[in-house]
Amino acid sequence: MATSGGFWAEAWRRYRRRPLAMAALAFVGLLVLVAALAPAIAGTKPVLCRYKGRLYAPCLGYFNRQWEPAIFTKDRFRGTYPQNLKDKDPESWAIWPLVFQDPFRTVRENEWPGRPENPAKDEGRPSRTNLFGTDQAGVDVFAKMVHGTTVALLVGFVSMGIAGTIGILVGAIGGYFGGWVDTLTSRVTEIVMCIPTLVLILAIIAILEKPTIWHTMAIIGATGWTGIARLTRGEFLRLKNAEFVMAARAAGAGPLRIMLRHILPNALAPILVPITFGIASAILVESSLSFLGFGPPPPSASWGSVLNDARSNLSMWWLVFFPGVAIFLTVLAYNLIGEGLQEATDPRLREARK
Amino acid sequence: MHSSHDRVVTSVYAAALLVVMAGCSPPDDDPIAGATAEPIATATADVVPPAARQAEAFEPPPLDRLEANTKWIDRPVRDGLTLLRAAQEQEPVLATTAEALELKNDSAEANAKILSALGRLPDGDAADLTARIDRHVAGDLGSTNPIMISTTAEFDILGLTGFGLFSFGRDLEPFASAETVTSWKTSADGLLDKVVLRDDLVWSDGTPITAHDVAFSYTVIMDPRVPVPAVRSGTDQMRAVHAYDDRTLVFFHREPLATNVWNINFPVLPRHVYEKTWEDDPSLKDSPAHVKLEAEPVVGGPYEIVERTRGQQIVLRRRKSWSHVKGKQVRDEPYFAEIRFRIIEDPNTSLLALKSGEIDEMMLQPEQWTTQTTDAEFYARNTKATAPEWVSFHFGWNIGTPFFADRRVRRAMTYAFDHDRMLDKLCYGLYVPCAGPFAADSWMAAGLKLEPSKQDLDKAEALLDEAGWIDRDNDGIRDKEIDGKLVPFEFSMLVNQQPHRIKIATLLKENLDQIGIRMNVRPLEATVLQQLTQEKKFQAYFGGWGSGTDPDSSENIWATGAGRNFVGYSNPEVDRLYVEGRREFDKAKRAEKYGRIQQILSEDQPYTWLYWRNSFYGFSRDLRGYVFSPRGPYHYSPGFGSIWKPRAE
Repeated sequence: MATSGGFWAEAWRRYRRRPLAMAALAFVGLLVLVAALAPAIAGTKPVLCRYKGRLYAPCLGYFNRQWEPAIFTKDRFRGTYPQNLKDKDPESWAIWPLVFQDPFRTVRENEWPGRPENPAKDEGRPSRTNLFGTDQAGVDVFAKMVHGTTVALLVGFVSMGIAGTIGILVGAIGGYFGGWVDTLTSRVTEIVMCIPTLVLILAIIAILEKPTIWHTMAIIGATGWTGIARLTRGEFLRLKNAEFVMAARAAGAGPLRIMLRHILPNALAPILVPITFGIASAILVESSLSFLGFGPPPPSASWGSVLNDARSNLSMWWLVFFPGVAIFLTVLAYNLIGEGLQEATDPRLREARK
Repeated sequence: MHSSHDRVVTSVYAAALLVVMAGCSPPDDDPIAGATAEPIATATADVVPPAARQAEAFEPPPLDRLEANTKWIDRPVRDGLTLLRAAQEQEPVLATTAEALELKNDSAEANAKILSALGRLPDGDAADLTARIDRHVAGDLGSTNPIMISTTAEFDILGLTGFGLFSFGRDLEPFASAETVTSWKTSADGLLDKVVLRDDLVWSDGTPITAHDVAFSYTVIMDPRVPVPAVRSGTDQMRAVHAYDDRTLVFFHREPLATNVWNINFPVLPRHVYEKTWEDDPSLKDSPAHVKLEAEPVVGGPYEIVERTRGQQIVLRRRKSWSHVKGKQVRDEPYFAEIRFRIIEDPNTSLLALKSGEIDEMMLQPEQWTTQTTDAEFYARNTKATAPEWVSFHFGWNIGTPFFADRRVRRAMTYAFDHDRMLDKLCYGLYVPCAGPFAADSWMAAGLKLEPSKQDLDKAEALLDEAGWIDRDNDGIRDKEIDGKLVPFEFSMLVNQQPHRIKIATLLKENLDQIGIRMNVRPLEATVLQQLTQEKKFQAYFGGWGSGTDPDSSENIWATGAGRNFVGYSNPEVDRLYVEGRREFDKAKRAEKYGRIQQILSEDQPYTWLYWRNSFYGFSRDLRGYVFSPRGPYHYSPGFGSIWKPRAE
């Protein structure tokens, strides 16, 4: 594995020399941060508060509704914290999110002392209180986008995680064993390639009792692995007769060990490239689905669903502009990362450069 | 029974339209009124109402004996256009045409002026009889066979090609159409209706239209093998329809009902075309002969279908043999030589088509009315008008589920919902609050004034506590022990896939979340939604109904086990009141019965009623003569028949 470690260090060194690719990586890093801290950036639930002598973090409710402490429902907070905290426990204190806006509902008058109600209908242009404006129902677009980051990232990572796992597995088995096994896996790959992802997703959503974003991810993953499988197969075909593999075999290593410990690390670099591009295309698929109205169930925030709101009134430019820019930048970032990876890990390209 | 008795130009069909879809928004179409997109659902389809009965063997008495034993009362035979012209002569003219075309419709006053000036019928020969109109429909036809009618698009189109004997005016008062009927009489005991047809009527293939066609159509409609979606409700209240000769037709009723005037109104098929084929293929659509008829129907109305591109457009042309028989003009020609129906499902696309002049009219969504039809670009080619309409929307609670079996829970739902916000913000302040099944300004609601619902979370929580829904396991969700298991209060609401309706459902989700109830909004395609509601496979849904011309038409929504009683409501008193209401002829006394029904329903809250969706239409500047009824601008008499284009100067 020492060689392999050297290879990656070398690749990283080369990658770092590409400013665009580094900027893209930083951008994705920023998105991860935004997604992880979403409830602390925009929300109406305290990040941390002390209430009746105990500490609570109601903002966790944004990640999972179940994690919001039940005491606030019991005490009839009804989702609005600022005034209720003060009224029901004068001793209480709270740390609030940076922007007091909710991704799922509008903010009413005086919910935050002195703050007017969010504008609704087509009046919600970007302003100091609503940085990116509001949609027709008065929900803050900035808050929606911050919380939608989670969906955008998850869709990319989860679906490509699934696709990568299936693709590498199928490709590795086919490439390593060859013969009828290879014929079988290759045909299966070709069959799956013929399945139109979008149509399949629409059909599954129609059948499911409670479709969620996870189903969409699973389907994108379950249909998007074909390219990865083919590349893996090629790499395995190439490497299975290499000297170090033979050496391992001679030393008595079983097929599983050879595949995972010896071939895979050496084959990984070219496989990572289609995975990165796959993340970008998965984000686009999710956005188009949401745009068409087949996204995660309302009111969950997703960039594509903000775009969908714009469809009925294009004069509300802020509903097109902000999510559009976000989707564009994210997809661009993944593509730049993919390209950077390709150039940093492909020795032939490196040679050509010199 | 149905709910809406629709008649356009000459045909009158009774059918209740389930508007499971319409809302205050985009493609919302509404079912009833014209531009609807979705198949309106009439889900109705072969749902046979409880009272449905097949035609039974019945031997009609000879005509001379019938005449000898019956005391006849004359009933009105009218022409919708003449009635409208007479009514308009009494109305003050609020503005000239030129003034009205300069106006922007931004106030009730401007709207009244526009309707007053542009809603007029033509003076003398001002109408261009060679004109073509491009109309908008939001969905294609399911069938061109008039007895299969059920969606709004079908009412729009088949209403123009179909033949009918009866109609109703802007005030929803029924009459026989002077274009097809010479006389209409009802027996003093209310058990018989006798109609004499005109002798100058022909089908589009030249064969005369006779009373035998009407009697034959009744037989076909009542045959249980024929999959009739909507029109059977109503005809099933009759005992028989018999043609004594080519012109004399008698309707035999089982009971003297106030609704008999609607029951005798059904679409008519050409007997000479179908009598040889229908027995072999009762589906009326599978055999080669029926496939050919579907493509080239033989029609009895003023227009015939000359071109049809599925999913795109349907072109109707005025039928010479409607107005001219044996070389003589026997009735007025309708104003348009050609009507082109453009099928556009997406409301944003259809608005673009209206602005660019590709279509001459369309129903507008509230958002479009408020924000996208106010600028000079819109008014360059169009104007717009609005009027109240009897189409209401609701959340329906499935009483068969453990959540909503208790009426306290259903009432809590109504208290939990922020009605004001929905009306002011989500519906742009354009709709009227709705608290019960009958429109507040209708005669059937006269006996009772329902207050609009208001949000009251304290009351909602108190009712839920009382009903036993309390958070016992401290997870922030109310729950209740049912059959030894702790069931959390979490349910799904089915809603049509339209942004506007989804926003309204999402508002309820937010409200319920505040009081410890989890609701999932589940947007679905209209057809899937219909199917699930019909099969009662839902916990709650967001839907709507177009009111019928007669309150009795809502019996199929509220009677125990009725075809459209999706929520599974059952109250013996309501069942009884419907039967009594039907048998009562005194309008004031009938209103009392329906007022009582409304009161019971309001106490039981099987629905959370939301709003009445008014009509909002965009019309080309070239159009004149649009007049709104509680059924919208098209579905009454004259309805679409009063619309015209002026001659080019």
